[in-house]
Amino acid sequence: MSGAAAGPPFSWNLVSDLRAMLAFEFMRNAFAAGTMIALVAGVIGYFVVLRRSSFASHALGHTGFSGAAAAVLVGVQPVYGLLVFTIATATGMAFLGNRAASRDVEIGTVLAFALALGLLFLSLYQGYATEAYSILFGEVLGISAAGVSFTIWTGLLVLAVVVIIYRPLLFASLDEDVAEAKGYPMRFLNLAFMILLAVTISIAVQIIGVLLIFALMVTPAAIAVRLTKRVLWAVVLAVLIAMAATWAGLFIGWYEPYPVSFFIVGIVFMAYVCVRGMSALQSSAFLQAVDAPESEGVRALGRASLAAALSQVLLVAGGVVLLVDLLAFPNAAWNPGRLARHALPAVLLLGAGAVAGATSFVLYFSGFRRMATSSREFTNPAFLTLMGILGISLAAAGLVLFLAGVALTSSSYPLAPVAELFGVPFLFLGIILSVVGLFGQAVGSWKVGLRYQERSLRTGAVLMIVPMVGNALSFLGYRRALARGPPPASSTP
Amino acid sequence: MDASSTHPLVTHAPGGFHAPGGTLDRFGPPAIQAEHLEVRYRNKVVWKDATFDVRPGEFVAVIGPNGAGKTTLFRMLLGLHWPSVGTLSVLGATPHRGNPRIGYVPQRHTIDSETHLECDKLVRLGYPGTRWGPGGRFRPTMWGPRFRLRGEREAAENALEDVGASELASKSLGSLSGGELQRVFLAEALVGNPDMLLLDEPLSNLDLRRSRELVETIHGLVQARGVTTLLVAHDINPMIKCLDKVIYIANGRVATGAPSDVLTSESLTALYGVHVEVLRDSRNNIVIVGGEDDRGEEGA
Repeated sequence: MSGAAAGPPFSWNLVSDLRAMLAFEFMRNAFAAGTMIALVAGVIGYFVVLRRSSFASHALGHTGFSGAAAAVLVGVQPVYGLLVFTIATATGMAFLGNRAASRDVEIGTVLAFALALGLLFLSLYQGYATEAYSILFGEVLGISAAGVSFTIWTGLLVLAVVVIIYRPLLFASLDEDVAEAKGYPMRFLNLAFMILLAVTISIAVQIIGVLLIFALMVTPAAIAVRLTKRVLWAVVLAVLIAMAATWAGLFIGWYEPYPVSFFIVGIVFMAYVCVRGMSALQSSAFLQAVDAPESEGVRALGRASLAAALSQVLLVAGGVVLLVDLLAFPNAAWNPGRLARHALPAVLLLGAGAVAGATSFVLYFSGFRRMATSSREFTNPAFLTLMGILGISLAAAGLVLFLAGVALTSSSYPLAPVAELFGVPFLFLGIILSVVGLFGQAVGSWKVGLRYQERSLRTGAVLMIVPMVGNALSFLGYRRALARGPPPASSTP
Repeated sequence: MDASSTHPLVTHAPGGFHAPGGTLDRFGPPAIQAEHLEVRYRNKVVWKDATFDVRPGEFVAVIGPNGAGKTTLFRMLLGLHWPSVGTLSVLGATPHRGNPRIGYVPQRHTIDSETHLECDKLVRLGYPGTRWGPGGRFRPTMWGPRFRLRGEREAAENALEDVGASELASKSLGSLSGGELQRVFLAEALVGNPDMLLLDEPLSNLDLRRSRELVETIHGLVQARGVTTLLVAHDINPMIKCLDKVIYIANGRVATGAPSDVLTSESLTALYGVHVEVLRDSRNNIVIVGGEDDRGEEGA
């Protein structure tokens, strides 16, 4: 599958993988430039989101396209053309007024003209297709050493200016009228921000391209502001998301014959969908109170812990059988066909364990949801368990896609890589969410233990990191809690 | 202009009526003094020949129909707009932009519900002075240098407490109700300990009960801090009991005086130049009939 370059194949030792990659200069360049760009894009992106000028940043990317095309035509580096055109447009926007950056009709008109102009320039130039392709979608593996140092110095300059104007810019972005009355130079701030945005876009286009700029400039910050209310944390999170996406994109792109830009945008998109999905779930009907006595909730939780303990027994047994199997047939190829032949008992055990595990998640969820009717403190465990259910479904879907992908790779079925590309991320995401669900179950059990003054439940909650033991103990705890009955009415809000 | 020049507390409105000033137990130089003020906006006269003053510590309502130039008055006091004729002095000086002695709450319709930002942060931005950089400095501590903000946190906490909104500090701006938002904006204006508060339509999105509650908070501030407060409103009824003075802007003219004197059929008829009737209900709520296209303006 190593399509991008001739390196050693993927191993699970990520450090040695990375070392193998970084032996190549173009990969070092890509990582260095990508890191700096993610840093700057995350910081500037926060203000773009706060000022609601995301469409303006999109449009600046497009005017950058004509700039890059013009630069290619006259034979200089595209990034200089990008800088000239985006800064000129940004200045124009800034002088049109504070709210010009959110006028979509005007911006859209300029945007279309800029693209057409770029098309004209490129048609005048001979090497039409590849240049257009790399400007439109980015070509991170083509950044030269000089390009890297230019990117880094420009990025540092942008960050330095942001540090200096941070507070006034925040004020002006959030509360324009008061900032103006306070005597902040609004025009200057507006202009300064637009130029910072233009410069950031110009350097970011190198890795992500003008058409995909939104994914690196706006989406990470849009995710970050949904996760935290604090400015600094939001900026840090936006940077981290942009950086993680860039690194993971480069990393995956090394082994896969598909464009790096796709992976970067895909990762950012998945993160966005997750965050939006989480907030949608949080306000969904699933978490509304149900009309059921609390004892039913405790009973469901008891069954859930029993199912969880059973599932863990099955999973551990399946794992052991599989391990023995692997040791017995070390040379057999790792594929579904072999699994079917040699490890059928293991697969059956693991499958049964997964079904029991899913059942326990559903039971835990219904239990916490009923408890939440009596006490709001069980809303969060219910929510986290719901995330876990989502995770199990995702993991199952990912597993099916992955196995389908692996099975179909041998035959030259064109959808095989797609199945594989989506199967692995689904599987990973599903596992992470399932762990979140397990965490929610532990927290919820601990809270039930506090509510019913049942120590075995609290011990069981802590021991949930140990397979079987924690849930078995919790099962006993829930039975005792059920026998003891609900706590005094005073603790019911 | 000479801030110490004493201007009679009796205001002469161009319509020919006159009304005595508010409660006259406050002395010293006026907080606001306007003489024969004329304002133009895009070369159109908004209002003219306005002569009035506001004493320190007064609670003043600025009333008038849409587009009468109420916000323009605020912009002049803030030094963002200049009178075309006449003189204006604010807190003993000509108005200038960035006056730290004025706290300003502009008219805001809503805040986007997508604004995920702590209220506390907005309040802290109101801390006085135009400052650059990240807004703090590194101070040595036992565990090495730590980033410290300069007194902002305490000031913001106090301001939020004064407006009865301490529990909103860590909430997201986008999640607040209209009344809660106005309290946070008020705290933002108060954090610099100003001598004058300019509140533009703080009651516009609030129901009557919330309006009354907010007015009580503001009135409490006026009394506790002695801060001169001008409040633009459409409806005078929620605050009629605590007002010292009314500035009524309509028809290109400005009338000033105690509420009981300005809000009469005679004075408003003189102001508008057409017949206006001021009615009072059993609970002393005011309804103004006529004046603007024969529509009722003030409603209770």
